[in-house]
Amino acid sequence: MRKFTFSILLVAVLSLPALAQNKIEFKEITLDNGLHVILHQDNTTPIVAVSVLYHVGSKNENPNRTGFAHFFEHLLFEGTENIGRGEYMNKIQAIGGTLNAFTSNDITYYYEIVPSNQLETALYMESERMLHPKIDQIGVDTQREVIKEEKRQSYDNRPYGTILPETMKRAYNVHPYKWPVIGSMEHLDSARLQEFMDFHKSYYVPNNAVLTVAGDIDYAQAEKWVRAYFEEIPSGPKAFFRPNVTEPKKTAEVRDVIYDNIQIPAIIQAYNLPPKNHPDSYALSMLSTYLTGGNSSLMTKELVDKQQKALAVAAIPLDLEDGGVFIMYGIANMGVEPKALEGEIDALLRKVQQEGVSDKDFQKLQNIIENNLVTKNSSMAGIAQNLAQSRVFFGDANYINEEMKHYGKVTAEDLKRVANQYLSLDGRVVLYYMPKSAQAPETPAGAAIKSNSN
Amino acid sequence: MKKLIIYLFVVLLVQTSWAQVDRSTYPPAGPAREIKLGDAHSFTLPNGLKVFVVENRKLPRVAFSLVLDRDPIMEGDKAGMSGMVGEMLTGGTKNRSKDQLDEEVDFIGASLSASSTSIFGSALKKHQEKVLELMTDVLYNPTFPQEELDKLKKQAISGLAASKDDPNAISSRLASALNFGRNHPYGEIETEATIGNITVEDIKAYYNTYFKPNIAYLAIVGDINSREAEALVKKYFSKWEKGNVPTHQYAMPKLPEKNMVALVDRSASVQSVVEVTYPMEMSLSHPDYIATRLLNYILGGGSSSRLFMNLREKRGFTYGAYSSIGADKLVATFSAEASVKQVATDSAINEFIFEIRNLRDKGVDATELENAKATLSGSFGRSLESPSTIANFAINTERYKLPKDFYATYLQRLNALTVDDINAAAKKYLKPDNMYITVVGNGAVIEKSLAAFGEVSKFNNMGNPEVLVAMDANVTVDQVIDSYLKAIGGEASARSIKTSRIESVAEIQGTKLNFVMAYDESNQAYANKVMVMGNVAMNTVIKNGKGTMTQMGQPSKDLNDQELDAMKMSMFIIPELHYEDMGYTLELDGIKDVEGDQAYKVIVKNPTGNSQVNYYSVSTGLKVKSENGEAGETYLSDYQEVEGVKFPMTMTIKSPMLPVPMAAKVEKLELNKPISEEEFK
Repeated sequence: MRKFTFSILLVAVLSLPALAQNKIEFKEITLDNGLHVILHQDNTTPIVAVSVLYHVGSKNENPNRTGFAHFFEHLLFEGTENIGRGEYMNKIQAIGGTLNAFTSNDITYYYEIVPSNQLETALYMESERMLHPKIDQIGVDTQREVIKEEKRQSYDNRPYGTILPETMKRAYNVHPYKWPVIGSMEHLDSARLQEFMDFHKSYYVPNNAVLTVAGDIDYAQAEKWVRAYFEEIPSGPKAFFRPNVTEPKKTAEVRDVIYDNIQIPAIIQAYNLPPKNHPDSYALSMLSTYLTGGNSSLMTKELVDKQQKALAVAAIPLDLEDGGVFIMYGIANMGVEPKALEGEIDALLRKVQQEGVSDKDFQKLQNIIENNLVTKNSSMAGIAQNLAQSRVFFGDANYINEEMKHYGKVTAEDLKRVANQYLSLDGRVVLYYMPKSAQAPETPAGAAIKSNSN
Repeated sequence: MKKLIIYLFVVLLVQTSWAQVDRSTYPPAGPAREIKLGDAHSFTLPNGLKVFVVENRKLPRVAFSLVLDRDPIMEGDKAGMSGMVGEMLTGGTKNRSKDQLDEEVDFIGASLSASSTSIFGSALKKHQEKVLELMTDVLYNPTFPQEELDKLKKQAISGLAASKDDPNAISSRLASALNFGRNHPYGEIETEATIGNITVEDIKAYYNTYFKPNIAYLAIVGDINSREAEALVKKYFSKWEKGNVPTHQYAMPKLPEKNMVALVDRSASVQSVVEVTYPMEMSLSHPDYIATRLLNYILGGGSSSRLFMNLREKRGFTYGAYSSIGADKLVATFSAEASVKQVATDSAINEFIFEIRNLRDKGVDATELENAKATLSGSFGRSLESPSTIANFAINTERYKLPKDFYATYLQRLNALTVDDINAAAKKYLKPDNMYITVVGNGAVIEKSLAAFGEVSKFNNMGNPEVLVAMDANVTVDQVIDSYLKAIGGEASARSIKTSRIESVAEIQGTKLNFVMAYDESNQAYANKVMVMGNVAMNTVIKNGKGTMTQMGQPSKDLNDQELDAMKMSMFIIPELHYEDMGYTLELDGIKDVEGDQAYKVIVKNPTGNSQVNYYSVSTGLKVKSENGEAGETYLSDYQEVEGVKFPMTMTIKSPMLPVPMAAKVEKLELNKPISEEEFK
């Protein structure tokens, strides 16, 4: 036993100096209105990524008005006092740029990547929509319809598209993570224009945002433009509503069957996680890699390759600010009962909980993590996003350079511990996704009888 | 006074800072930085391997990408073989089992993958030799295990089954078959049979023929200088022996002489997948290459292009409509496609043709050309962020015999193109009168409207023309029904069945379904139950002239008259005996191909307009298939005699709702035994 502990220690010590990360240099400024600005210079390619992260996501919404944060992701492309309707996207494309945005439970993130000689235009445009976006009835009505189509396309009509909302709905009883980011169409239908304007005033303000500029810039010139366009934007409210609820630990398993337009059954298991910046997050991330990352990972090798019970398996720690979920899913192979696959997944999980991870496997995990972290910061768009998220979620943009250090502290013993602590079989959510055809009515099972009698 | 001065000073300051930006217009662009392409260092080994090294020290990683440049090959009755070569290569070597290989790759956090014309490996700088060792082990020593091939064939056949119900897969298979023809490597189609024919020997023969250094390019990108790269390449690739690699030539596919409509009738479709397409000559080395990029962007390359603006933004026919013009050494295609609302199928085709014709005849305007240039230049610029782009440029320059400065002058040449140049390209390459118009959709709803665009030919879901067989004009529908009744044992025997009860079972995706059907001729009663994993999921009953349906978890529901009429088409075990007294009309609609067997197609309609279609084998007289809108297709086979009457013991149901065909097997069939009242509840 002593020998065993010693070898773990040895591996940990030996591996520490080997885990090196390339350093990302950056400069930070905070404007008087509270806008935090992060600049990163890299003149290799004449492009620049400009992004604004607003610290507002679906969790900040009123439970009777869900979908607002995502609604703004659309609305802020509609135009501003000075930029006409529909012009925002066309202008960025016509200067040779590309743009997009996303909304999560915690944040809303807007970005554009433009040729570096167009940096001023990109900053002007982002400042316009922070200062005075056009929020009017036409925009609200148009985007409401677009979002309905988006919902049909991305959730309702997509095979397995509802996995996340169906899981979150069951994984949370009290925390606002329980409602989907896209929100309720009824809420959006009944919301009045004034409510959208109020939501904007409450969150889309400099002191709730991080502006990041990464790429082919001159620090002094970039700062000058940033000040010119953003300094005049008035500061917002002193405080922001952030839900302060702790999801109680579940003591009983939640189990359900969902019938979907799919061809092959899937099993989903979800376990509640600690907050994103909790020290155990690193061990949980390594654990997910141990289970399903790579062809040699425990579950891929055993269930996909050997037993051929699954077409695919994946473990994904969806880490959120207030504690996300560890989602595992398995897609069954032809003719395999979901129950049989679930039994095998659970058996492997128990094995990890009882036996832990071997030294060799632990070293493999460290190598994979190292490779992933090195690759993570390979584009300007990626660096901009990682800098902004480091600042917002970990309180320090320099977290981007320290992630590896946190992983370096994890031991093999930690993996076993977190497997037992967080992946407890009796407080989880289990969903079976089944083909609608297995449900019967109005579907082939029903149809079968009709044809049968011919 | 002093105060005033300070006051003025402050005001001035404030005003200055306000005056700094003018928000009413966009700021001017700064001087554009010249886009410089990095260089690739290249050298060739004595065995013919051409190597390109792009040094980029930003991240401590190195990627090795080996590409084979061979002519496309015909696979004939082994179509699908080359798709399995890659996974067979990484399926094990003389030195490592698949498990060991996977373990060693993951242990260093590396990636290793292969296809029939490539092997790719990447890792952190410190593991570069290890990943090269694994990569070359795969290259030199693959063992091609039989069990790996068996696994891949199983997966391929499942994929094929799913694709037969996937409208997009059907559409692209059909487009390839039409554009290139079956005797062209791009027009070959994989079937269960061709997959079944593939052997380990075929994979080995392919590997022995084509994995040769003299047709290969190796790109090395990342934290490595050319001297180090050269030493590594010599160490790992010098022993690779060159060999003669066959070359292949193919006839250039021709344009259709006029527009031709190809329809795949998929009765379950609620949307139509429409594609207009034709083959064309276009490649990277073609002088019009860049002009056709701009032309395509303006027509349908993006979300501000004409097709998108018209079909989606203006008319709301679709979520998205796009076009593409390919580039390929052998032959490329023009294609424009969208999934459109069923009722707008013909209107959408009309708009596609209009936009293509309009662009050809009226050309582009200066602003849209400028915007298209900016968009394409921007995406070219962004692509340079990834160091592998430079390596690809170097390989393409060599492989397609491009001028040395092809990529260095790309933006310059793009921006020099004029409205006239694009208009000339539009005239030359847009062919609104020589297109294949393919449609995958519900024929019953859309077929008639398609005739406006050209001759409509029908195809099946594998891209084969539907076989039309001439029918003897003297055959009548009554004769077909009579010969069916004779074939199952004669009308008298069939009429002697007063009650019947059938239990059958099917399995789908591991879920067991049980069906129980009960028929009582004298009381005009009928019941069927579907059980899923032992629970009754649906129960339908007709008795005393009324119908009810009960679904799991829902209260039972009385059928309305229309529903009851529809249901009645199924209430007899041998419905042919009742067509006349039910007042159904029958129509004989020629001879069709049913799984290789010729069959009479009979359309049965009830007075309220519900219909179903039965197919009776020309040779045996037996009913081999039945279809209706809701149920999809049911194939009847394995006829066996029970008390003098033949019944199909296997019913295979194919429906878009099912991932794979579902075979229901009869487990118990009882005739003329009393049926308890319970059955009809």
